[in-house]
Amino acid sequence: MTSDNKNQGVGIGQIWNWQITAACALILIAVAFLAISFGPIHLGFLDIIKTLLGMNGLEGQQRTVLLDLRLPRMILAALVGAALATSGAVYQTVFRNPLADPYLLGAASGAGLGATIAITNAGGNIYGWLPVFSFLGATLAVLTSFFISGKFFAEPNTLLLSGIAVGSFATAVQTYLQQRHSNALRPVYSWILGELTVANWSIISWSSIYIFASLAVLISISKKLDGLLLSDEESFSLGINPNRLRMIAVAAATLATATAVSASGLIGFVGIVVPHLVRGLTHRVTNRSLATIALAGAAFLVLADLGARSILSPAELPIGVITAFVGAPFFLFVLRTRRVSHS
Amino acid sequence: MSKSIKVKDLTVKIGERTILNDITLDIPHGQWTCLVGPNGAGKTTFLKVLLGVREYSGSIQDEGIEVFRNHKRNVAFVPQQPEIPTGMSVAEYVSLGRSKVEGWGVESARSRSFIEEVLIQTQLYGMHERQIAQLSGGEMQRALIARALAQEPELILLDEPTSALDLHHQISVLNNIELLKTEGVTVISTMHDITLAAMYAERIVVMHEGKVLLGGKASDVIHSAELRTAYDNRINVFTLDSGRPVIVARKEEN
Repeated sequence: MTSDNKNQGVGIGQIWNWQITAACALILIAVAFLAISFGPIHLGFLDIIKTLLGMNGLEGQQRTVLLDLRLPRMILAALVGAALATSGAVYQTVFRNPLADPYLLGAASGAGLGATIAITNAGGNIYGWLPVFSFLGATLAVLTSFFISGKFFAEPNTLLLSGIAVGSFATAVQTYLQQRHSNALRPVYSWILGELTVANWSIISWSSIYIFASLAVLISISKKLDGLLLSDEESFSLGINPNRLRMIAVAAATLATATAVSASGLIGFVGIVVPHLVRGLTHRVTNRSLATIALAGAAFLVLADLGARSILSPAELPIGVITAFVGAPFFLFVLRTRRVSHS
Repeated sequence: MSKSIKVKDLTVKIGERTILNDITLDIPHGQWTCLVGPNGAGKTTFLKVLLGVREYSGSIQDEGIEVFRNHKRNVAFVPQQPEIPTGMSVAEYVSLGRSKVEGWGVESARSRSFIEEVLIQTQLYGMHERQIAQLSGGEMQRALIARALAQEPELILLDEPTSALDLHHQISVLNNIELLKTEGVTVISTMHDITLAAMYAERIVVMHEGKVLLGGKASDVIHSAELRTAYDNRINVFTLDSGRPVIVARKEEN
């Protein structure tokens, strides 16, 4: 081969630069401290660090605010943000569709139906059963989508279509139940908009297991996932079994989504905006960015939650409103600059 | 004759339909073999068998071993209708080919300089940060070939590599494929344009309705009765003063 022209350029550089991942981790840490520090009761950074390290830090009410309110809420926001952003990125790869979101296969409508059943039947103690029912609903809806589409992994679009059908069906049943139990309308509606106010250590303990397990699987296969962006024959030639890889990816992403939805309701937009932000800003599509997308998703949702409880303080906005309100314009900005830079 | 891939009694059925019917054929290493024949002759299926994505009966042996069923060979594939990932840069796309050699996501210095060489070779250097979806047809086809080159394959399969290109780009792409061959890679392609096939490939295999009618040196096959039979005698073969054959479709006489 000849290298005559090589000196004319500057080389192709790295495809993925891990410094971006490190930067996202730092941003997440900074945002996390901001989130647990700010609120009606201000907590100092140093005091927070001392308390977390078991040294002489905050006491009394401040300690309770930190350990029982803000910390679990921040951690849940980070977990859910990471889960939704990563699942979104994975669905977009698996279905080769930049508009795919984590709720695509019926997970959202299934969870919604499960939550509605819990709310209409549980009487007083709604929150005990709600996560369980919405988790079951989400998982059942996705499994049904798989089942209906038959040879589900042979043709990704068939799975996508059956997900839409199952989702519509679950939404119809949910609407019917709501009409029969009109007193359930308000709690169902507020759940649908997403909320992290319910965060406590018990929810975190079970949801973190599922979310960390799913993320570990997804990040471990992330490099190979790039092969799914090509046709099945091409990925075969690069040594990948696309059907098997798709199955693992969809299962793990669905588990993460179902867990996120059942822990915090439906928080839209994170699964689409965050992957596109990371990919748009870095000009890279590779799934090597998956860990970065997880960190960015966590930071994005922690920040959104801080906004949700600060803007109308002491009242709270639904977090879904914030994610869309802030996410949508920023998203459009990135899309626009990206297009300009390429034209 | 040097070493070759030996195909024996190869049959592929999809349901009741026989797509490839009892094919026996020798494909020499380090040469360019071109499959020609009308649509539906089974050319693409034959490529997919070598890629290892189609079940078959019979045997395909390389150095006496059945290797294509289990992807034991480094086989690159350039499809007729590739999936083009949205937003992906040319450099990123070409680097996918390295995964076969170095493992997924590994970025060694050697890999990077290899990709640079490949980009230069395929005249894509300088546009490597452009989005792959924004390339023209000819550039896109070169990017596909660049990805296959990055894979350092032993065998490369190309399905109609020139079908969507104008003449100028056809030549440029075919020259790129020829470069592969000079590096000792075995090239197997399908091609509709038999004149171009005869210009570039050393060997031509004529296929018709799932069977191989004839396989051999390009110059012999071009003038054979089997080639005319495959196209129902609707082609004329002329020989230019330079000795180069030209194949044109014959107009139907009423």
